[in-house]
Amino acid sequence: MIALRPIGRVVATELKPSTPHQFYFWTARDTPVGIGAIVRVEEAGRVVFGVVTDAVAYSDMMTPMHAVLGADGDPGAMDDPTRRAEIRLFSASVLRQMPEEPLQPVPIGPVRLASDDDVRLALRMDAYTGRDRATGIPVGVYAAGGLESPVYLDCDFLLGPEAAHLNITGVSGLATKTSAVEFLLTSIFQTFPVHKGSVAAVCFNVKGPDLCFLDQPAVLSDEERRLYARLGLTPTPFTDVHYYAPFKSDGVNLNTLRSHEALAANTRPLVWGLREVLDYAEVLLNRDDVDAKADAFIDFLGERVVGRDYRDDTLRTKPFNVQTFADLEEFFRAIFDFVEAMGKGGEVWRTHHVATIRKVRNRLSNISTRSKGLVTDDGTASDLPWGGFADRNVYVVDVAGLDPLAQDLVFARAVSRLREHLERRDLGVDHVVVFVDELNKYASADGSDTYVRKMLLDLSERGRYLGLVLFSAQQFRSQVHRRVVGNAGTAIYGRMDMDELATPGYATLSPATKIKLATLPKGELMIRHPHFTQPIFVKFPRPPVMTSREGLDRFPPATGLSFPDAVARQLRTFDRHISTDGVHALVEGRAEPDVLRALAATRRERPADPFAFFSACLGRRVTPEALTTRRPVPSIRHADGDYGS
Amino acid sequence: MRLAHIADPHLGIRQYHRQTSAGVNQREADVAAAFRTAVDDVIGQRPDAVLIAGDLFHSVRPTNAAIVFAFRQFQRLREALPGAPVVLIAGNHDTPRSTETGCILRLFEELGVDVAAEAARRFVYPALDLSVLAVPHQALVGGERPALRPQGPERHQVMVLHGEVEGLLPADRSGEEYGGAVVTLRDLGGEGWSYVALGHYHVQHEVAPRIWYAGALEYASSNLWGELVDERRKGQAGKAWLLADLATGRMERRPVRQGRPVVDLEPVVAEGLNAAALNGRIAERIGRLPGGIADKIVRLCVREVPRHVSRELDHAAIRRYKAEALHFHLDLRRPEITRETGVGTPGRRQTLPDLVRHFLAHRPLPAELDRDAFVRLGTDLIDAVERDPAGG
Repeated sequence: MIALRPIGRVVATELKPSTPHQFYFWTARDTPVGIGAIVRVEEAGRVVFGVVTDAVAYSDMMTPMHAVLGADGDPGAMDDPTRRAEIRLFSASVLRQMPEEPLQPVPIGPVRLASDDDVRLALRMDAYTGRDRATGIPVGVYAAGGLESPVYLDCDFLLGPEAAHLNITGVSGLATKTSAVEFLLTSIFQTFPVHKGSVAAVCFNVKGPDLCFLDQPAVLSDEERRLYARLGLTPTPFTDVHYYAPFKSDGVNLNTLRSHEALAANTRPLVWGLREVLDYAEVLLNRDDVDAKADAFIDFLGERVVGRDYRDDTLRTKPFNVQTFADLEEFFRAIFDFVEAMGKGGEVWRTHHVATIRKVRNRLSNISTRSKGLVTDDGTASDLPWGGFADRNVYVVDVAGLDPLAQDLVFARAVSRLREHLERRDLGVDHVVVFVDELNKYASADGSDTYVRKMLLDLSERGRYLGLVLFSAQQFRSQVHRRVVGNAGTAIYGRMDMDELATPGYATLSPATKIKLATLPKGELMIRHPHFTQPIFVKFPRPPVMTSREGLDRFPPATGLSFPDAVARQLRTFDRHISTDGVHALVEGRAEPDVLRALAATRRERPADPFAFFSACLGRRVTPEALTTRRPVPSIRHADGDYGS
Repeated sequence: MRLAHIADPHLGIRQYHRQTSAGVNQREADVAAAFRTAVDDVIGQRPDAVLIAGDLFHSVRPTNAAIVFAFRQFQRLREALPGAPVVLIAGNHDTPRSTETGCILRLFEELGVDVAAEAARRFVYPALDLSVLAVPHQALVGGERPALRPQGPERHQVMVLHGEVEGLLPADRSGEEYGGAVVTLRDLGGEGWSYVALGHYHVQHEVAPRIWYAGALEYASSNLWGELVDERRKGQAGKAWLLADLATGRMERRPVRQGRPVVDLEPVVAEGLNAAALNGRIAERIGRLPGGIADKIVRLCVREVPRHVSRELDHAAIRRYKAEALHFHLDLRRPEITRETGVGTPGRRQTLPDLVRHFLAHRPLPAELDRDAFVRLGTDLIDAVERDPAGG
């Protein structure tokens, strides 16, 4: 270990004493120490590490008035005739003391900047890095005084089981939230230890093209490449990314900004049928609707009606077999007809009041009309590969173009299914990171108690036992439900708004730290982690994936594809050899619902010859035979004799 | 535009043993008579087109009599309605299993009948502004299915198809024919068709607006009692063909008089009756039938008849009924045995002597036997076997 030259000395006075958790030190005027720097104090066999949290500077000037009088009130008059004595006094919070017992005030001794090894010890990273079965995940480099040291998070505390979840706060547009998550996922995928099992990520793209180009490489500077090398990472984009996006209302163009044909191979439709929606119908009910009666009727539909023969001779003699929204509408229609026919006193059908039935029907039909591209009427679904998740794969669910209600539905169902599969240990991976941006919206502190918020609370409180880890981001942490952010074992802060920093949640930070947070440059973060006793500032390189702006320039979204072109695009994702002209010829003159149904069947079956299968689903055209003239029929003898005669 | 929709004539079917004076199977003559009646009525109604929705013949190789008869009927139709196209498709009964067999229906092309025997065909009649998609059974079961959708600019888009619409036939499948190609309502694509004429199900039935099974012209299915049950459920009596008016959407049921009544007599419950009493009940049921059972097709279902009672019935009388009717089916059904002590249920498992004792104590016995002595004898024998398994 190289002993660095002292850059200061601990000072303890009656007014500013050293304590076991805080100390002061002075430095020369040209010191490299700044807010967030980690320093080392060593004296008489005791080593103390601290992080600088505040600083003051003052001279021997008695009062400001003496300065004014000395310059005759003219700030530009002249320099002071003699250089005044000036002190730089830093306050530091203790990160670690060695030995840890007995815990004593920080000794008065020389202060040095921390070396790589010091940083490792100061942040207690020695417990989980540099040994067999290490669990460190690089998160960035700590930089001070020309030194750079990698900082690692403990994956036992990031992805469970000890603690879990990550929350990121920062203002928009300064490469904080999305970039940090992209970089951290890169780091996790490259360094998550084999002995901890497998890991995948499910990201919800809730706005614009934020996560649309995770599989495309970024153009990185040499400095950024050097940072990657320093962290032991390779700056390559994600290799296995799967995109899922609902259709637009035309049912064939995908509702995503990732619609360039070059990116179509791993972009699949997300389409749900009645069964998928009905299982999460609570999401569609707002707070006023949530009553036991509506719940009971939804349960009745789910358990007795949908997907099976339901016979009720009072409604009609033929049994109902409700598979689609259209079937469900027919079922509701029959109930309403029955109730209307009953006249006065006929407000109830099988103990369910007609108002409850109408409310449930309205909510369900709402989703099928407002989210036409997500919800299909013909019962065929295209979904995430439940049970077939693969290690180090990213699954991006693009809900940016969806109605908020449908976004809630997608989120609730996807997370519920993840939880169910992880509980049964049949998802295909051991850990899943779920990334949700705009947490202000989904789990706001003062909003209504929605199903999605309940689900996020449940996820943040119980998820770590299952390996279901929430990476969440928002602009204003203070506006997110306390239990959601409170359960996040690791917190990352990018540049913050001063108003946000003035809220009680940041009271533990020193004014200097707050100022630093408010002026934090791009690519720097403050991190709280269970192993770190104080927040630490780190730098991280740009993520190795194309930014959304670059992506849109290079892969402009395909807009306004005609119906046959969009169908051809879909089919070509199964087989690149399918010609657009061939598809045009096949679908010309066919009804769009028929074509969509054939496309859905092809998607579901994944046949060896998709074009032939698609063509068979559509059915062979029958060539018309025009019959204009009919020859007369000659009369015959015994035209109608007895049978057998 | 008025269409005549006929389905499932099943010419050439042979049932039961009675023959006509000309030596023809009576039922074969009956279905021919029904078809002739229907053709007469169609000619009288003068529709714009005639659709025959499959199973013209009951078998791939019909009798010569059936072929000649059908030829004459089509000749009559064509001669009487020269401007009306006649479209005929093959059903599952008259579709050959191998292609080299050839299809007899092609014969009627010589009379100007438009036939779809294997592949689907779309006949366009410009003079009538009518397009008919004719979909035979083979087009639905072999290889790539045709697109069952309207096509072309014709105002009247009609489909004639032979098959079973999934999920619409009764749950007990009592009345339908087996072996039909299954199509879904969605396959049929209800929207856009002016009319869909279906064949295969022998009971007239509206599948959806403008989509109809016409039903057979005679009771010719393998389960004619099921047909009767379905007809009762629908409130129908007898058989008919359909006259569809495409302009008004009105469907007219044109009844076809049957050669003879098919009667399912009110069932008798024989519980507690001895043979003599049951003979009386059977005679009473038959006697109540107006006009008697002569030349009719009759079934009498008798439930809860123990075996010994059925053995002691008046079989001479039953033979007389059978001779009198064209067909008399006395359907004797034994009591349903309900197991009182289930194997594997909680509680003590019964031993073999227990089971034998229970069985003998409850099995039906001739009245003259002493049940106690009978049970004692049985259990003694079992005990003896158990004591000396080698001897058993």
